[in-house]
Amino acid sequence: MTFTIREPKQTETETEERRRLYMELENCIGCRSCLAACTQCGGHEQKNRNYVYDVNPLVNRETMPLMCLHCVDPACARSCPAQAIQIHETGAVLSALVEKCIGCQNCTIACPYGIPKFDEEENLMYKCDLCIDRTKDNIPPMCASVCPTNTLQWLTESEIEVKQSKNDVGNDKWVTSMPYLEGETNVTVNLPGILQGTVKLF
Amino acid sequence: MQRDKFFREIENVNHPNEKLVKTHCSYCGMQCGMNLRVNTITNKIVGVEPRYDWPVTVGKMCPKGVTAYQQTNHKDRILRPLIRDDKSLKGTKEGFREASWEEAYDLIAKNFKRLQDESGKDSLSVFSGVSMTNEKCYLTGKFARVAMGTRYIDYNGRFCMSSAAGGFLRSFGVDRGSTLPWTDIHETDCLFIAGSNTAECHPTSMFRVWAVQERGGYLIVADPRETPIARRADVHLDLRPGTDLALANGILHLLIKNGYTDEAFINKHTNGFDETKEIVKEFTPEFTSEITGVAVDKIERAAEIYGKAPNAIVMFARGIEQQHKGVDNVSAYTNMALVTGKIGRPKAGVATFTGQGNGQGGREHGQKSDLLPGYRKIYDKEAVEHVSGVWGINPEDMPQAGVSAYEMFELMTEKTIRGLYLLCSNPAVSAPNLNFVRNALKNLDFMVCSDFYLSESAEFADVILPSVTWSEDEGTVTNLEGRIIKINKAQEPLGESKPDWQIQVELAEKLGKGKHFSHLKTAKDVAEEFRLASKGGNADYYGATWDKIDEQDGVFWPCKDADDKGTPHMFLDKKFYHPDGKAKICALPYRPPAEEPCEDYPLRLTTGRVVYHYLSGNQTRRIKFLKDMCPDPYVEIHPKTAEKYNINHEEIVRLFTRRGESNYKVKITEAIREDTVFVPYHFGHEQSINLLTIAALDPISRMPEFKACAAQIEKLKSGKVL
Repeated sequence: MTFTIREPKQTETETEERRRLYMELENCIGCRSCLAACTQCGGHEQKNRNYVYDVNPLVNRETMPLMCLHCVDPACARSCPAQAIQIHETGAVLSALVEKCIGCQNCTIACPYGIPKFDEEENLMYKCDLCIDRTKDNIPPMCASVCPTNTLQWLTESEIEVKQSKNDVGNDKWVTSMPYLEGETNVTVNLPGILQGTVKLF
Repeated sequence: MQRDKFFREIENVNHPNEKLVKTHCSYCGMQCGMNLRVNTITNKIVGVEPRYDWPVTVGKMCPKGVTAYQQTNHKDRILRPLIRDDKSLKGTKEGFREASWEEAYDLIAKNFKRLQDESGKDSLSVFSGVSMTNEKCYLTGKFARVAMGTRYIDYNGRFCMSSAAGGFLRSFGVDRGSTLPWTDIHETDCLFIAGSNTAECHPTSMFRVWAVQERGGYLIVADPRETPIARRADVHLDLRPGTDLALANGILHLLIKNGYTDEAFINKHTNGFDETKEIVKEFTPEFTSEITGVAVDKIERAAEIYGKAPNAIVMFARGIEQQHKGVDNVSAYTNMALVTGKIGRPKAGVATFTGQGNGQGGREHGQKSDLLPGYRKIYDKEAVEHVSGVWGINPEDMPQAGVSAYEMFELMTEKTIRGLYLLCSNPAVSAPNLNFVRNALKNLDFMVCSDFYLSESAEFADVILPSVTWSEDEGTVTNLEGRIIKINKAQEPLGESKPDWQIQVELAEKLGKGKHFSHLKTAKDVAEEFRLASKGGNADYYGATWDKIDEQDGVFWPCKDADDKGTPHMFLDKKFYHPDGKAKICALPYRPPAEEPCEDYPLRLTTGRVVYHYLSGNQTRRIKFLKDMCPDPYVEIHPKTAEKYNINHEEIVRLFTRRGESNYKVKITEAIREDTVFVPYHFGHEQSINLLTIAALDPISRMPEFKACAAQIEKLKSGKVL
């Protein structure tokens, strides 16, 4: 599990607005392309780090991805006795540092969403690092790059605000990360309800 | 080229000691753009990077696309020619020995000659496929007719696109799968999608589909199953399998009755309206509902939405086409666009979701039993003269039209056909009525198979020739929009494998026809001859040079010459391709499926794809990620039906029809009709659902009715829940 993070590129990052991972669960078709693509990030050693669940498998084909939400005050990092989980300046909560991780799995237990995975053979935790080698340069992570449905998107703050103003009609059905989740996150999620504010064309 | 709201300039990540080769996916008609990551020290493909600058798919890929690169250096690759001397082992993986190309070619030439000496030229046959470049598809047609001299060539598009082709030819006089580019889809106001499990079969269309709804537009889906796209549809027309023609006639009835027709368009640009109006008169919502099982209010609502929509696109796929009235279904749904005039302008039209990578291009240039390059008919004297000129043969030596794919197996059974050259296809899994088809293959006197893996069909071969994966050769493919695109070579062929065009050039020499082939030394050489052969035909590729394809992000056919930029939108001048320039509105009486449910077989069996596999699964079942996600077939059953049979989720049951049987694990879901069961078709040997399907052929397209037959379930004594 060794890879080095390249230096951020100096040129365009100053002018370009930072983007964040944004999720619209209603779009998910359960293709699990995000999981396949996760293995393609150079730093991921061919192991995918996220989840897609069948929500109600005996009834319908509703599915949803479960991605690391990159908490601002992450329980995984707080619970780590070896300080193996670092937070990148972009807010990405990184995978465990190989030389520090002691394989105690506290992080998996502490995470409200059960995100960190455990490699039994290597005795190491590994988790989504938001493809830090890409996202530090504002390049979308692999999962959001390939997502065929735009369930996973890589948006600027202002684009996310537009989404919110369009979709939140004050009935608690459009659920973004706050205040509904455990704490503040760097990833914005919304549950089904994205079309409720849409006015039909005719 | 068009760059829409989804397009964003994004820099690619280039890993140390790697280069990126831009190309497209090996699988379906979407032909998603991708970059293959190639290690510059080993010169081997090692991964994939999104191709953000491809205007159709902007970096997006399904799980098959993401893992497609794993085919190339897979441990199952066939690296040298294989010969099997013991014919008793046919139908198994056993008994093959490695051989040199020379020995393999000599053995093929010897046997082809022997069979033709004994039983005439037409004792040989070619069965090909369209998951390969236009150059290969073109050369295969020439190889069959010039090098082998047989009339019997056909291809797996008969199990895929032939009904769409037949329907479009009848309605428009031309068969381009989509009348408009995919970049129009999200800007339309209504999508009417029939018989397409788009989310699983063409996943990278989905961001555009959802965008229609986000804009306030409508999505109407006709499907017996509540597929992921049907789940979010504004109207889900949950019809009985095999009843599409009634549904389309019913919608047409309402469009006419409720005044949604465009009289001026009908009068000026179409024929056949009055007869059609007469035929659909009886298809009242109530009558339509009785046949289709769809509620009256849903039929009315769908017709109202489509009728009111300023712009709308009618789209369909194998669900409506793989029926013994597939051509009629295509024309019937196309009627909707013609009576309302919602065609021949941006954001409105008709499209089929092409199943195979080159399902469009591969059907245009001479692999079909009655076609020559450029979508020319083989019984058209002028066409034969033009193509004979390009090929350097006497027009009198051009073989006659042959028969369709499934009918070739019938001729094999009765020994009219004794030898087979199979390439780019796996009919031992993908053909219907497999007990019959597998026997036909077993009874052949001599069979050659070209493939890069040992497929279920290769198990019947005497000689296997190792071909290359898509990433070890270059050439063009025509995607589901009708856009000609470029596949680029990322790696040298593995082992001794060779591209099929090269195999054919070398084999032609052995067959004594070298002078018609020996000038073709590269894929580009084939491309140049192919452009010339297509020149002047309906599918005219003459102006689509590789340079232009690169410059323009693809070229839409027809593209007649150097100055022609191609034709993204068809019929903008409202000129259709029938001699009088008009489109045909088709009057189509309803016919039920060939086999209706009865007391002994009370269920309707339908088949289809899952998102993790492609066609017969010969490629995708070998990719670990895809195999892990969907290792085995299953039968989808509604809980109420399961209750009737007293069977549980994940129990193994016996499913059978008049033709065959197999055991499947039960998947209970409410997302299917109570009278219908579904099994995916990607699996081989005793797991193949095509052991059960029916070979009732469409009278025009010769498409088998994969999508509807009568079946029964039996609870097994040992069918324990796993």
